[in-house]
Amino acid sequence: MTTTSEMAQASQPAASTVPSKATKRAVRSKNKIDPTYYWMVVPVLALFAFFITLPALVGVFFSLTNYAGYGDWKFIGLSNYVNIFRDPAILQSYIFTFVFALTTTVVVNVVALAIALGLNAKIKWRTGIRTVFFIPMVLSALVVSFVFNYLFSNTLPVLAERFGVTPLATSILANENLAWLAIVLVTVWQAAPGATIIYLAGLQSVPAEVYEAADLDGAGSFRQFLSLTLPLILGYLIINVILGFKGFLGTYEIIVGLTGGGPGMATQSVAMRIFSGFTGGDYSYQMANAVIYFLITLLISVIQLRLIQRRGVSL
Amino acid sequence: MNATPLSRRALFKAAGLAGAAAVLPLAGCGSVPSSQNGVTTLRFMQNKPEVVGYFNQVIKDFEALNPDIRVIQDFNEGNFVPGLVRNDPPDVVTRGFAQATADFVRKGVFADLSDLPAASTIDPKIQDLVSSWGQYNGHETSALPFSLAAAGVIYRRDIFEAQGVSVPTTWDEFVAACEKFKAAGITPIYGTFKDNWTLGQGMFDYVAGGALDIAHFFARLTAKGAAISADAAESFTSNFGPALPKMLELASFSQKGAASKNYADGNAAFAKGQAAMYLQGPWALSQLVAANKNVRLGSFPLPVTNNPADTKVRVNVDMALSITRNTPNMAAARRFVSYLLDPSVVNTYNEKNAAFSPLKEAPAVENPQITGLAASVREGRYYQGATTYFPPSVPLYNYVQAFVYGKNGQQFLSALDDEWRRVAERTAV
Repeated sequence: MTTTSEMAQASQPAASTVPSKATKRAVRSKNKIDPTYYWMVVPVLALFAFFITLPALVGVFFSLTNYAGYGDWKFIGLSNYVNIFRDPAILQSYIFTFVFALTTTVVVNVVALAIALGLNAKIKWRTGIRTVFFIPMVLSALVVSFVFNYLFSNTLPVLAERFGVTPLATSILANENLAWLAIVLVTVWQAAPGATIIYLAGLQSVPAEVYEAADLDGAGSFRQFLSLTLPLILGYLIINVILGFKGFLGTYEIIVGLTGGGPGMATQSVAMRIFSGFTGGDYSYQMANAVIYFLITLLISVIQLRLIQRRGVSL
Repeated sequence: MNATPLSRRALFKAAGLAGAAAVLPLAGCGSVPSSQNGVTTLRFMQNKPEVVGYFNQVIKDFEALNPDIRVIQDFNEGNFVPGLVRNDPPDVVTRGFAQATADFVRKGVFADLSDLPAASTIDPKIQDLVSSWGQYNGHETSALPFSLAAAGVIYRRDIFEAQGVSVPTTWDEFVAACEKFKAAGITPIYGTFKDNWTLGQGMFDYVAGGALDIAHFFARLTAKGAAISADAAESFTSNFGPALPKMLELASFSQKGAASKNYADGNAAFAKGQAAMYLQGPWALSQLVAANKNVRLGSFPLPVTNNPADTKVRVNVDMALSITRNTPNMAAARRFVSYLLDPSVVNTYNEKNAAFSPLKEAPAVENPQITGLAASVREGRYYQGATTYFPPSVPLYNYVQAFVYGKNGQQFLSALDDEWRRVAERTAV
């Protein structure tokens, strides 16, 4: 007893340190990260920090000043932020952007899902038709919007007048209440192919057996879509909605090409207002706007990520 | 911030600013005299890409006379602010003079040119157009006018002659002329409402400038600062109201579908004779002649009242010469500016570009396209357009367009009052 206890006492420190050292080493060797990964991550992180995070922080800093982009400046505290909340033109741009993003997300996903279902069916010249549908994706948004601008302003009114469709006889881009629909239309035209690709991938992941079983059970094609296809590709739908909504919140080029924010103030998006700060000597004010918008999009992203995790989908 | 859907350009710009901020301490006084082998190199930035050829010739002549100076022309005005941020602006700059340039003056970006001999050759009335925006330290001359553009109504002489209409000198005569064209099946005024700036610098500036004392109005408005409200005596609401119906009247004389036509469409259509009049400045003249080389054009200032003596023309200092304050090549820059203001250079430029020379001893204008404006300019019956007084952060052209489409003058003017107050609030602190 004594010897063992002595031994135990004597060996205790040794026994407790030696195995712990061993386990540590074992853990380290098990978790040892290949330095190559650091070589990959650190330069990117440094570039990201220098070109995106640092400028962003500089922007946050200047949002607390009255800096015009050049010349003298001084700290003015939070008054830029206070003024933004009292600026109806800015609030209007937020309303426009959110209504636009919501509408466009819904339309893009309905259209893209319909196209994907069509392209996934057994149709003639499937590959060729798929290619045609994806062309809008490779065209620059600015080019697309200038072409549509011409169509809306010149071609469509002439056609409408010839066929006696008076509501369309003047350009819808010149109509304060309808111009945003033109922007939605062009955005959908441009964005639908990207969403279609994701849906096609989803549809191809659905095994054919489930449809065979459904056929045997006597389910019609609409019932099959509602009870089988949709639940099985729900993850793809969520990804499309989240990516789409986030992208449409930053809408810029298509509006510039179509309406330039007009007619009047009807189609000014938040991104356009922020960018106007650079040319307008309003740098710090619009920087404050950018910070607010960043916080809002951050909040939306967090909510969406939560939703995704609950659904068990990962981006 | 990286997740913010800022435009990519905005991010680049922000990155550029941050980069510049990081490099600034290193560069410090990085602008050393740029001379090699005794030859000083000047950078000259001008704001009009269409006159690059003319200035190339001017520079060639100048370099022949001054072998110790070399001048590089840069016509991308967009480089100017980044140049300031980098502490490396061009040595000599010409800019259109309006609120944005005036802001540079107030921030002390430009050197004082009042002791330059050429400064005394400039018509003081035209120099006043520049100094009325405010002078650095209260007395400095930061910019010397080089070209004065006068804008009115461009008209087709052939259509006026064919319809037996003479140039109107009162508002009633003008309306009568429009009615006569309309009765003859001719569009009185070609409208290009899709490009909202054409509404701003056109009918808005003309009607406001003809009806009000614009400089006086903005002086009082600025003095009021952030305390402005719609019911104040200095506000847009209290002053612009009576003029607005005339804008709508002008708009009603435009062709159907003006809302879907832009400036380029307008130039092509007007040159082809699709309307009798066009509310544009001299910059459109060369475009019109390019579209139809036989077009016979004239200009007249838009009469807004029924007293011909009230009629004024909209002018803007289209080019004003400045030297950046911190240039290391001050002596060479001053020699170059003096050369540019030599009567042979400045008068030739303005003659060629349908503009007015700012010199006291300027020869009379002979270009038939703008002779109709010459009397007003000579007698000083002119104003700088109301749009030029607005800070660029106010989307004024959008508001003007919204008014022309929606016809709600009350809403338009109170929006201007609000915008003005908000800008004053955030720039005054």
